[in-house]
Amino acid sequence: MRRTTWWAALLLAGCASLPSDVLAGPTGSSRYVKVRLLADASAVSGGKPFRAGVKLEMADGWHTYWRNPGDSGLPTKVAWTLPEGWTAGELSWPLPERIVAGPLASYGYHHEVLLFTTITPPAKVTAASVPLAAKVSWLECQEACLPGKAQLDVTLPVAATATPSADAAAFEAAAARVPRPADWKVTATREAGAVHVRFEPPAAARQASFLPGAPGIVAHAEEQALQASGEASVLRVPLDANGTVPERWQGVLVLDGGARAAEIDVPLQQGTGASTPAAAAAAPPPPPAAALPGTAAVTTLPVALGFAFLGGLILNLMPCVLPVLSLKVMSFVRHAGEDPRRAWRHGAAFTAGVLLSFWALAGVLLGLRAAGEQIGWGFQLQSPSFLVMLTGLFFLMGLNLFGVFEMGASLTAAGSLAAGRTGLASSFWGGALATVVATPCTAPFMGSALGFGLSQPTYVALLTFTALALGMASPYLVLSLFPRWLRFVPKSGAWMNSFKQLMGFLLMATVVALLWLFGQHAGTTGMTALLGGLLLMALGAWLYGQYGTELSSPRVRLGAATVAAALVAGGLVLGLARAQAATPDALPGAPSVQNGIVWETFSPEAVARMRADNRAVFVDFTAAWCLTCQVNERVVLSSDRVAERLRQANVATLKADWTHKDEVITRALAEHGRQGVPLYVLYLPGAAAPVLLPEVLTEDLVLAALSTL
Amino acid sequence: MRRLLTLAGALVLACAPAVPAAATVGQAAPAFTLTDTAGQKHALADLKGKHVVLEWVNFDCPFVKKHYDSGNMQKLQKAYTGKGVVWLQVNSSAAGKQGAYPADRAAAMNKERGAASSAYLLDSDGAVGRAYGARTTPHMYVIDPAGKLVYAGGIDDKPSTDQADIAGARNFVSAALDEVLAGKPVSVATSTPYGCSVKY
Repeated sequence: MRRTTWWAALLLAGCASLPSDVLAGPTGSSRYVKVRLLADASAVSGGKPFRAGVKLEMADGWHTYWRNPGDSGLPTKVAWTLPEGWTAGELSWPLPERIVAGPLASYGYHHEVLLFTTITPPAKVTAASVPLAAKVSWLECQEACLPGKAQLDVTLPVAATATPSADAAAFEAAAARVPRPADWKVTATREAGAVHVRFEPPAAARQASFLPGAPGIVAHAEEQALQASGEASVLRVPLDANGTVPERWQGVLVLDGGARAAEIDVPLQQGTGASTPAAAAAAPPPPPAAALPGTAAVTTLPVALGFAFLGGLILNLMPCVLPVLSLKVMSFVRHAGEDPRRAWRHGAAFTAGVLLSFWALAGVLLGLRAAGEQIGWGFQLQSPSFLVMLTGLFFLMGLNLFGVFEMGASLTAAGSLAAGRTGLASSFWGGALATVVATPCTAPFMGSALGFGLSQPTYVALLTFTALALGMASPYLVLSLFPRWLRFVPKSGAWMNSFKQLMGFLLMATVVALLWLFGQHAGTTGMTALLGGLLLMALGAWLYGQYGTELSSPRVRLGAATVAAALVAGGLVLGLARAQAATPDALPGAPSVQNGIVWETFSPEAVARMRADNRAVFVDFTAAWCLTCQVNERVVLSSDRVAERLRQANVATLKADWTHKDEVITRALAEHGRQGVPLYVLYLPGAAAPVLLPEVLTEDLVLAALSTL
Repeated sequence: MRRLLTLAGALVLACAPAVPAAATVGQAAPAFTLTDTAGQKHALADLKGKHVVLEWVNFDCPFVKKHYDSGNMQKLQKAYTGKGVVWLQVNSSAAGKQGAYPADRAAAMNKERGAASSAYLLDSDGAVGRAYGARTTPHMYVIDPAGKLVYAGGIDDKPSTDQADIAGARNFVSAALDEVLAGKPVSVATSTPYGCSVKY
């Protein structure tokens, strides 16, 4: 029976073959790809497996795809038609290239590739020859893609002994490029957003990448980070946020750019970090970082809240909050000697202002992040428009303190703080303002607390912000509860006016700092435009001060107020127009030099490269608007002692500038459990985990961290 | 107790940076405002309360041709816009790259094909494509009336350029739309998109 069907098949094949394309011959082509069906034997023999395959030759610049095409494309397909009793194994795929196009990556072959399989004839073959037919389809792409297909066949004579063909060497070469099952110990563990592939190759790998066997699992274009972990290496393979997570981890592990490659197929274990798909969107580095005082990894809610409170408290001493602090001190001076119950109410209003604005900040931050924005603490200062508004506000407040104008009762809200009025609203807005100006600073303990809070469910994030707010407001609250402590403050009098004007200069200093920040975004021209805008605002404020007072008639007052409002608005528009068309003077990306130390631009690849060279790597995560960062850089990192030590120890210095929105840096910060700058990361050679330095640096601290080098 | 703390610590570390790299199913769909071929602006925020489909398109791509030459895509567009769904084609081809055409030409090509979408949006800087992590043409997204992404992936389960495969394929987009329109959760919320790469 079996034999008759075999014969029937052969006959059928023979008949059909005559005119049609079934016996199309061994070659075919499409526009940019030539294909040929070939075997490694010129004669085959019963029971003796041999190899047959399809060789694809691509025109220059064109490629076809691997078994997993990656982000786009289609795998080449080979469907065999063999006589009954003849079986073809699975297709063998030589190691492909990773082809990157912008944010996408695929796997495939340029020039040529031989995809082959093993064909096993039945033990006994009676026919004199055997037809092998293959239907081949592929997608050929350069920039554009075209589908291609071909129907190929060859007829091989059957002989008593198999003889190798002229193509045998090509098969050997192709087979040598097919990754073999790994003989190293490999485990795969699912963590949040990534799979950690741990392997122990005979010799440590300097570079590794994992090519997944199937699409829809791995984020192909994302960086895979390799870390040494004792004898083993751990490769972090980021998962596709919308992908599926398989039961088994299958694919090819490529070491040192293809010098070694192995097929792996291991069960996927659940790691401690694996959780909901939402949390799987991004992930942390495998080993926790060593901690220095003030940077201890925050692991529980109570610790996070404690740190947040402490951070908030210290925030009051940071330079950002100082101008507002001075205003606050002034208002305390005024309230000193008042009814204690009233003082208490002012303290509460101030606290409410701080709390509500921290919540608003948290709300905006969480909302924007839910919408997919890559942002963190201080994000609003990455927006030039926000800087313009803030500059304008501070400038007007400064003018107010100088006495250029006084605010009418109807506008108590924002202005009265500066005027030192005694309304509760003034205390409230004082709190709000303190919060807004606090953001360019990161106090010790804050970084790790915020990093924790923002990574947790919304209510935890809100709790962390609440603790931060309470920490910041606590000194005022305490002072207002115990007004007697203010007894030493002199009685208010004429000196208050001079004091107020003096405070105006502090606010102007803040304006200078903000202008400099804006200049980082908008360049000299933009900064000049904003200065022009400030001039208009000053004119408006002066007009209002001269003619908008109760001394003038209502008509004149209205006129003055209108013109003043128009001038202030015009000034803002002038600045905002430049904010929209912001062009920095210098494009980021060039290395900067500070006291002889060259700070290269940060990228995860640069870190990996320099670590591979066995160098210590110091990364400075900074931003122009981050005052803490600027102070650290100027006072500590570019000090003679630190610079000398960095040079001496041949430390690779990298700068990650977060002044503008930058997703790579946001993600890198997140990998260290942070949501903002500053962050100082020191990788020591041979150590898997980096050392994180505290937010506020001292020379001794940095030198101590570098002492082991 | 100590083990519990360690476990909590590991969890915290692992969950720390929950920042989505691209649009993630089950979360808010990234906001955008794009101009269509007629010069009209469309903001996702204005489409709250409606079901929205995003279809990444490039008429020069053989995978897109498969679904337009067969009439499959137009049929879907017609069926669901008829049910109140807002169907937006998005072209993220960068200027000079394959599939990039001036607005009037793009509109004419869409008309020639009898497309029945609500609008054809131009995203030549690729910002929206990148925000959504659009990789292929076609790459399909379904957004529910609350603005949540409920489906992301391929149009169906037969990755090929062959029109003959459409008949036997399981269409994930119509399945997802039928389910959300009926107020049911989407049973297949993600799949692997197939097609040409988006020409960013």
